Amino acid sequence: MSIKFLVVDDSITMRRIVANSLKNLGYNDFVEASDGKDALDKLAADDNINFVITDWNMPVLSGLELIKAIRSDEKLKELPVLMVTTRGVKDDIMEALAAKVNNYIVKPFTPQILKEKIEQILS
Amino acid sequence: MAQQTSMMQLFEKLDDLKSVFIYGQKIIPVIHSLLDFMKDTVPLLENINKSIAESTTKIPKAKHHIHDVTNATELATTEILDIVDTISDDIKTIDNKINSVFEKEEIRALQFDEIIALLDDKPEAKSKLVSLKEELISHEVIRSIQEIISKIKNDAYNITISLQVQDITSQQLAAVNHLIESVQERLSSLIITLGETEIKEMRIENDVTPENVHFDPQASYNKETSRQEMADSLVRENLNASQDEIDKLFS
Repeated sequence: MSIKFLVVDDSITMRRIVANSLKNLGYNDFVEASDGKDALDKLAADDNINFVITDWNMPVLSGLELIKAIRSDEKLKELPVLMVTTRGVKDDIMEALAAKVNNYIVKPFTPQILKEKIEQILS
Repeated sequence: MAQQTSMMQLFEKLDDLKSVFIYGQKIIPVIHSLLDFMKDTVPLLENINKSIAESTTKIPKAKHHIHDVTNATELATTEILDIVDTISDDIKTIDNKINSVFEKEEIRALQFDEIIALLDDKPEAKSKLVSLKEELISHEVIRSIQEIISKIKNDAYNITISLQVQDITSQQLAAVNHLIESVQERLSSLIITLGETEIKEMRIENDVTPENVHFDPQASYNKETSRQEMADSLVRENLNASQDEIDKLFS
C-alpha cells in the first residue's frame, strides 16, 4: 500500500524538515497544511491521504483539536496520527494519548526516531 | 429640675467640643507634616508615572523587534534549506554520474580481460594491455568517492535536521513576547495620573504580534533523550491501558 502523508505545522521550516526527512526515508508522496483547519480541508479534499504528522501548537485549530476532530469523524477516525511537538511534559503527552494519537515525538527529533515511529504505526 | 438637666447636657457637650479642639490642636501639626510629605511625594509619583508611561510605550517596539527577529530567522532558515536542497540535488547528480562511470569501467575491465585472454601468443601486446587495464579507475577509488558522497549527503541532511532549532527558538521568542505583553498590561494599569489614551493609541499603532500566537512556553532545543523516552514509555503504557483508564485520568 502506498503511503500519502499530510504534514501539518504552522512553521514553514518544520514542514520542510519533516518533508525532507520523509523523502530521505523513501516516502515521496506528501501534502502540507499550515494548521489544523487547513489539515481538515486537505483531508476532506483528498481521500488518498492515509497518514498524518502534526504539530501541537498551531493557530486556528491546534494539533490536539485536529486529532479530536479526526477521531470524531466516522470517515477519518482510523487515520494514523503521529504528533511531533516541543511539548514534552507528561500531562501533555497523556492528553494527546487520551485524544487517541497513535504515537508521539518530542522535538528536536532525530531521523531515526521519526523512522521508528512511522514504522511502529504502520506495523 | 428640667432646666438643670439641660444645663448639665450643655456642659457635657461643651466638654466634648473642648476635647475636640484640644485633639485638633494636637493633630494639626501631624496634618501639616502629612501635607508637606504629599507635596514632596506628588512630583515623585508623577515622575514614576512618567517613567512607567515611557517604558510602556517602548514595549511595543521591543515586541516589534522580537517579531522581526523571528521573521528574519525564518527567512534565513528557508534560504539555508534551499541551499541544502540544491547541494543534495547536486550530490545526487554526482552520485549517479559516478555510478555510471563505475559501471562503464567495470565493462571496460571485462573487455580488457577478454582481449588479454586472446593475446597469450603475443606477450608484449598482452603486457601493454595489462598495464592499460591497471590505469582504469579502480574499485577502491570509486568506492572511496562514493563514501565521501554518502558522507556529504548525510551531513547535508543533518544540517536540515539541526534547523529545527529555528522553530523552537521562534516559540521561545513568542513566549518572551507574551511575557512582555503581560508586563505592558501591568505597567499600564499602574499609571495613575497620566491620561491612558496616549499609551493605548501607541499600543494599537505598534502592536504587530498576531493576537492568536500559539507557542509552547517551555519549548527548548534539548537533544537529551529523556523526554522522548518518557513519551515512548507513556505510549507503551497507553497501548496496554484501556481507554476507560486513560479517560479516568482526565475526568
